[in-house]
Amino acid sequence: MNIQEHLPILVVAIPILMSALMIMLRSRPALQKTLNIIVSASILLMSIILLLQVWNSGIQVYEVGEWGKYGIVLVADLLGSGMVVLSSGISLLALIYSLDYIEGKSLNTTYHSLFNLLVAGLNGTFLTGDIFNMFVFSEILLLSSCGLVVASENGGVTKVSDKMEATFKYLILNIIGSMVMLIAVASLYATMGTLNMADLSVKIATLSDAGTMPWHIYFIALLFIIVFGNKAAIFPLHYWLPDVHPTAPSPISAMLSGVMIKVGAYGILRVYFLVFKDALFLLQPIIILLALITIAIGSIAAVGQKDVKRLLAYSSVSQIGYVFLGIGMGTAYALAASLVYLVNHAIAKSMLFLTSGGIIHHAGTRDMHQMGGMAKSAPLMSSMFLIGAMSIAGLPPLGGFIAKFVLFDAAMLGEYYLPVLIGFAFAVFTIFYMFRAWLLMFWGEARDSKKYGPYPSHGLSPMITVPIIILAAAVLILGVYSEPLIALSSEIANQLLDPQPYINAVLGGSVR
Amino acid sequence: MNNTILSITIALIFGIGTFLILRRDIIKIIIGLSLISHAVNMLIVSTGVFDGEKAPIITDVHHGSGSGIIFTDKLSEGILAPIAPSGVETPFVDPLVQALVLTAIVISLATTAFILILAYRIHEEYGTTDVRKLRRLWG
Repeated sequence: MNIQEHLPILVVAIPILMSALMIMLRSRPALQKTLNIIVSASILLMSIILLLQVWNSGIQVYEVGEWGKYGIVLVADLLGSGMVVLSSGISLLALIYSLDYIEGKSLNTTYHSLFNLLVAGLNGTFLTGDIFNMFVFSEILLLSSCGLVVASENGGVTKVSDKMEATFKYLILNIIGSMVMLIAVASLYATMGTLNMADLSVKIATLSDAGTMPWHIYFIALLFIIVFGNKAAIFPLHYWLPDVHPTAPSPISAMLSGVMIKVGAYGILRVYFLVFKDALFLLQPIIILLALITIAIGSIAAVGQKDVKRLLAYSSVSQIGYVFLGIGMGTAYALAASLVYLVNHAIAKSMLFLTSGGIIHHAGTRDMHQMGGMAKSAPLMSSMFLIGAMSIAGLPPLGGFIAKFVLFDAAMLGEYYLPVLIGFAFAVFTIFYMFRAWLLMFWGEARDSKKYGPYPSHGLSPMITVPIIILAAAVLILGVYSEPLIALSSEIANQLLDPQPYINAVLGGSVR
Repeated sequence: MNNTILSITIALIFGIGTFLILRRDIIKIIIGLSLISHAVNMLIVSTGVFDGEKAPIITDVHHGSGSGIIFTDKLSEGILAPIAPSGVETPFVDPLVQALVLTAIVISLATTAFILILAYRIHEEYGTTDVRKLRRLWG
């Protein structure tokens, strides 16, 4: 019995158990906070150990219940365990931030519990090797995030009625998306007789080689664009995001924009490059087209925003388009580039949302036109926002530059000239809207802080500033020393394009 | 014949659900959502066995060999786990789809409960159940 073999189930099971425990501990807030931080930190530690193990000794398969491919398997390959490291890192920082940001009553009763469920859902989605189980975990993710969006923050910056409206939109659209996923999974099961993704891959490849692939496999593959496009807020399905991400409390916005929309990108990578790789030639032009429209719409809409969090949300829409552009091009280099982009955007955007929470607490309003001259009164927030804005805009010393550089380089090598042109044009838009926001908030006439807005100022504590500084340092490090990330992404891209080791790892074990 | 009626029923429920989702009243939207989830559940059940053409995972033929539970998965003969060619005798209904539907029903119970409470709170905040009046975020 080696504890390291059980890491894949531990990072899923511990948060679920903790969420039950947190409800029981609601009368003891101090213990609850300490325990939750310790657990989040240990999950981050476990996920890093898991990633190192996978990096050193190959794909790790955990058979829950030892039923082989007929039961549920958790598969920790480089992509899955890398995403788990990313999500648990961001969720630890968001949790530390939210201890001071979220209102006490909301924090004690449900927040900790739902946050643990969210982490469990994320880790489960990233690690599962069973397509129906992926549906279940994404549903856990959806419901717990809905509960977190309506959590109220200190100072009451967002009205409760706004939260209700945004959650309603989010919930309805995502339930419909889940129903579509259920239809796709059921059709896949009816056709192939299995739900295990590695097994599905083998069977579809066999049918495709024999030339007897049923035609509706292509339609099932198209359904998954709706499913994961809805989660990732790709063009025709993006309109819920700019309402939901701003109304959520800032740490939850950071989780939603940083990690949860990446679930869509992860799902596309996992399902298309493992299961539907014979249908990819049909899907890639669609993904590229949708990605380009997403980039354009997100950037154009972000230019006209006056609410700082709404601007960041539209920016998320635009940036996820770049990730999908890389996925759509589908070469090893382009996939690696899109993974680099994904990680950089996750870190920079969650940092920006956390910073915007600090700014809102300082200014007491979300309207950028009512702010101004805050560079003197909030120097830390202004420099942090500048670092994040520069990274998102893709300026050299920071992570975003490396991400945009490798993405455009990959596109040029793949001879996708028109997509590069469009992507580059809207990258200029990105620079414009990020710096417009920074100028509006921090430069110009300093205003009397009482005139800022109707909400009471809450002030900044170390709980709020330390996570932002850690994330800013990560953005800077990813820009200056990006080789490890690029090496990891290239390795992941190679694994995605050649899924045979994954299939061997899952199907290799004997069935009793 | 049974399968045809089943398909038409699923399609009808799906259609009614879609129609209700496009209404203005929040309660009608919620009813539409639960109708759609029932239609999807019926779709999943219908992928199980009804007419004996598809085999379950455990078959009689293989009871003699090995430890008793054998998964018949022979790609070379075109047998994909529970789906077997029509010549094979199948006395069981595929048990997996029932488990899938059970999970899906539980999930839709949770989402419906949540969304009903949300609808109640929206009625409290806005004083209406008309979704067109929910436009405070548009400003």
